Amino acid sequence: MALKGFPRNFKPLEILTQEQLDAIHRGTLEVLWVTGVRMEHKRALQLLEKNGCRVDYQNGRAYFPPGLVEDCLRRAPSSFPARARDPGNTLMLGGDTLYFAPAPGQMTVDLDTWEPRTATRKEYYDGVKVLDALSTLHFFTTYTPYFGFQGVPPCMGMLESLAARVRNSSKFVVAGHSNNSEIFAISMAQALGIEVIGTCTAAPPLTFYQDAIDSAFRLAEAGMPVRVVGAPVMGGSAPATVAGSMVSNLAEVMAALVLVQLIRPGARVLVLDFAMPMNMKTGAPAFGSMEVCMHIAAFNQIFRKYGVPTYNADGYPGSKMPDYQSGYEKAFRALTTGLSGGSARPLHGGVYGELSHHPVQAILDDDIAGMVGRFLQGITVNDETLAIDLIEEVGPIPGHFLNKPHTRKWWKLEQFTPKAADRLTYPEWMNTGKKGCLDYARDRMEHILAIHKPTPLTPGQEEDVERILEEARNYYQERGLITDDEMLTYRNGMKSPNYPYE
Amino acid sequence: MALKGFRRNFKPLEILTQEQLEAIHRGTLEVLWVTGVRMEHEGALTTLEKNGCKIDHEDFRAHFPPGLVEESLRNCPSTFHIKSRDPNSSLTMGGNTVYFLPFPGQHTIDLDTWEPRTATRKEFYDGVTVLDALPYVHGMWSYTPYFGFEGVPPAMALLESMAGKIRRTTKFLTEGYSKGSEQFTMQMAQAVDTEMSVPCLLSPPLTYYHDAIEAALRGIEAGFPIRVSEGAVYGGTAPVTIAGALVSATANLIAPIVLLQLVKPGARIFVNDFTFPQNMKTGSPGFGDIGISLHAAAFNQIWRRYGVPTCNGAAIPASKRIDFQGGYERAMSTLLFALSGANFILLHGGISSELTHHPVQAILDDDIAGMVGRFLEGITVNDETLAIDLIEEVGPIPGHFLNKPHTRKWWKLEQFIPKAADRLTYPEWMNTGKKGCLDYARDRMEHILATHKPTPLTSSQEQDIERILEEARSYYKERGLIPDDEMATYRNSMKSSNYPYE
Repeated sequence: MALKGFPRNFKPLEILTQEQLDAIHRGTLEVLWVTGVRMEHKRALQLLEKNGCRVDYQNGRAYFPPGLVEDCLRRAPSSFPARARDPGNTLMLGGDTLYFAPAPGQMTVDLDTWEPRTATRKEYYDGVKVLDALSTLHFFTTYTPYFGFQGVPPCMGMLESLAARVRNSSKFVVAGHSNNSEIFAISMAQALGIEVIGTCTAAPPLTFYQDAIDSAFRLAEAGMPVRVVGAPVMGGSAPATVAGSMVSNLAEVMAALVLVQLIRPGARVLVLDFAMPMNMKTGAPAFGSMEVCMHIAAFNQIFRKYGVPTYNADGYPGSKMPDYQSGYEKAFRALTTGLSGGSARPLHGGVYGELSHHPVQAILDDDIAGMVGRFLQGITVNDETLAIDLIEEVGPIPGHFLNKPHTRKWWKLEQFTPKAADRLTYPEWMNTGKKGCLDYARDRMEHILAIHKPTPLTPGQEEDVERILEEARNYYQERGLITDDEMLTYRNGMKSPNYPYE
Repeated sequence: MALKGFRRNFKPLEILTQEQLEAIHRGTLEVLWVTGVRMEHEGALTTLEKNGCKIDHEDFRAHFPPGLVEESLRNCPSTFHIKSRDPNSSLTMGGNTVYFLPFPGQHTIDLDTWEPRTATRKEFYDGVTVLDALPYVHGMWSYTPYFGFEGVPPAMALLESMAGKIRRTTKFLTEGYSKGSEQFTMQMAQAVDTEMSVPCLLSPPLTYYHDAIEAALRGIEAGFPIRVSEGAVYGGTAPVTIAGALVSATANLIAPIVLLQLVKPGARIFVNDFTFPQNMKTGSPGFGDIGISLHAAAFNQIWRRYGVPTCNGAAIPASKRIDFQGGYERAMSTLLFALSGANFILLHGGISSELTHHPVQAILDDDIAGMVGRFLEGITVNDETLAIDLIEEVGPIPGHFLNKPHTRKWWKLEQFIPKAADRLTYPEWMNTGKKGCLDYARDRMEHILATHKPTPLTSSQEQDIERILEEARSYYKERGLIPDDEMATYRNSMKSSNYPYE
């Protein structure tokens, strides 16, 4: 039994005409064949060459024939399960179902000054616990809630983060790659009897470095699903136009998809859209911009044609605090993904860019997710909901519907009630301390932390996780990626009687 | 020549299947014939009877035969022009064009305590000035910005409000009616050679009082477009299910359309969806509820089938502050209204329920309008935007797009830059006082008030307006609707040397 997610019960939004879609498809095939993609990985180039690609070993460039590309797109499954620790949390990605994940933040924020700072180990584990408790949060993606926590050396950030998620949540987890961390992520998953979706990330324009391709090989060979990612900035590492950035981004994502299908035909692939315009004033990605939503809508439409599930990665506002701007920026993103048929997207908890995250924000976003989910459900139309007989019975004024059994039965079925929203009248609001959504969200966070109990690992599983972490620590120390004083601080951070939770 | 508005360049979102749409249409025809609609207006009933309606005069009930209903709907123009004081501010209503209008609030709000209070005359006129200056406010709405201002007797609020708008903006006007005010509003419009939309407001369920019909008949006689407005609360004055609320809304709106098309075939009419689920905890309308958007999306689809332009008026947050909740509530409803094909969307300035409005909020909402408008434009796909040759020229890393003429030309055409959003990086934000969107919006308000000069009335137009106001004052005073002490306060408030602006 897979997690239900939010099914969409009406036709998806199509931002492209058929002709526009064909033009983008044609352009992508042209770029893949004429320009090609640079892959700094000899084994990959050899595999591609054997399957009909033209390969220039000196430049590390592979040129993909259209027939091979279309063949590999057909091989990728249109829907697939991804197994979680609790079978009830297993995902069934694809089709008309939307799942939500948290949006990562490098750091936590102070709720009074809105300034970012590194989270403590306890804040990290508490953050996972809150996300575990939120019903519209269906799985975890990489780097969530934070990129790491105090005392952890950078190269261990990803694995400590994965360990925390498997310890404090039984929801499905996605793993990234950094300095071969996927080796340990895969062994952790295997030890726990779960699957992880791993990642293969391009360096746009049209480049894959060795570590990304290594990750694709390791994941595909281990039978894990692979999330293929291009992360272009329009105007920097992709053309400044939405259409042009679609073409270059698709070429990147499809090159990786072809490779994965050649490594393991029929392999489960999730394609990720993470394209942002460049903020031409600051040079940084323009978090919060509307063009992102247009890119998402087109991306989902194109991969629906190909039959490959999509992940829309940029749930990230430009605002530094949960305010009006952040509210509209997040709502636009979540809604666009839902309407245009994305299979998954990060939403919960991201405060600014990918740079900050907070559980209070995640609780606010739980309401956005619920509202989007309610909308996607659509309108139930049958004799009982049409209520023709009831309308006849009630008639004009002084008739009304308040005292009808139909109202008592149906309002709960039809209405979604957010958990951290102010829905009082003015007099009630004035008399109860003028509380806003942030106050309600703080209350709910305290409530969750006080009562929520994530499903723990068995002692055997816990030993495996700690053993694999220890192997990784030694691996990185031997390779000089953890200095001695970093290791000392790290070890000191593990001395609490409540380790690993504090 | 008409104001461009925002054009949707792709297929609208369709939340109903064809079969669901049919079921709602069929249900509507059944209710109109079997249940009928109460219209407390003998003249109207006589006209309807003469044209084939079954009339119960004792109960003021008209039963509408399906053939007449469908013919009347066919008689409504699907697109029509509405003239403003400045021809460049005229609108062409209908088709796939969206115009944004302000949202009314009874009061203004204190931006520190968030408590509501009555606006002063100067705040009212300044509020209109700000709305006049905002590029995405395409017209004005009745009772905007505020229901009235300090010193004005309730009976004169609507007329003083209209005078404020006529004096301070050349944008299109839509007006309400209250106690025969339409006689004076129409005179004012004629005095400045503009059209305005005249309302016909329903009292759900299925009831039209005499004044509603009278106002619509007066409006149509004067040749003005009519806005037929539905204001039901599902669970109170309509069935609690969205499907049932749609049936009752559609029947409600069609009844006066039949009458008006009989009186003047081809009359310009648009329909307004201003409906809410009932908040079952507080008993008030469920402002900010996602059910509003579900209803509106289906409403727009139904009326697109009928070929009658639509207005969606219910995008109003429940939050009492300008905060995260307000942002997501407004963004979701605005985007969904626009994608599903609304022609008018009420948006700018409303803060909570219909009770508060502020120019700072209007400035924030102008960014929402711009972002939604940008999305509706869709993606430009042609050889230049696809940029295949450029992608080939740039190639993989170290290639990049930053220094290309294509980027310099296109980023400005493709990116919408909000005017009151924080888009800085963390370091820039920390170094510039950690400003948020509210700070930017306050700055922009001050800038507009310091620099914006609305097109003034000619001196004879100003005399006409003041004369009509004076006639109305006498009219209401004679009818006992303005007691002596109210009149004294009112007169006192008109003594400023800057009257009527202060």
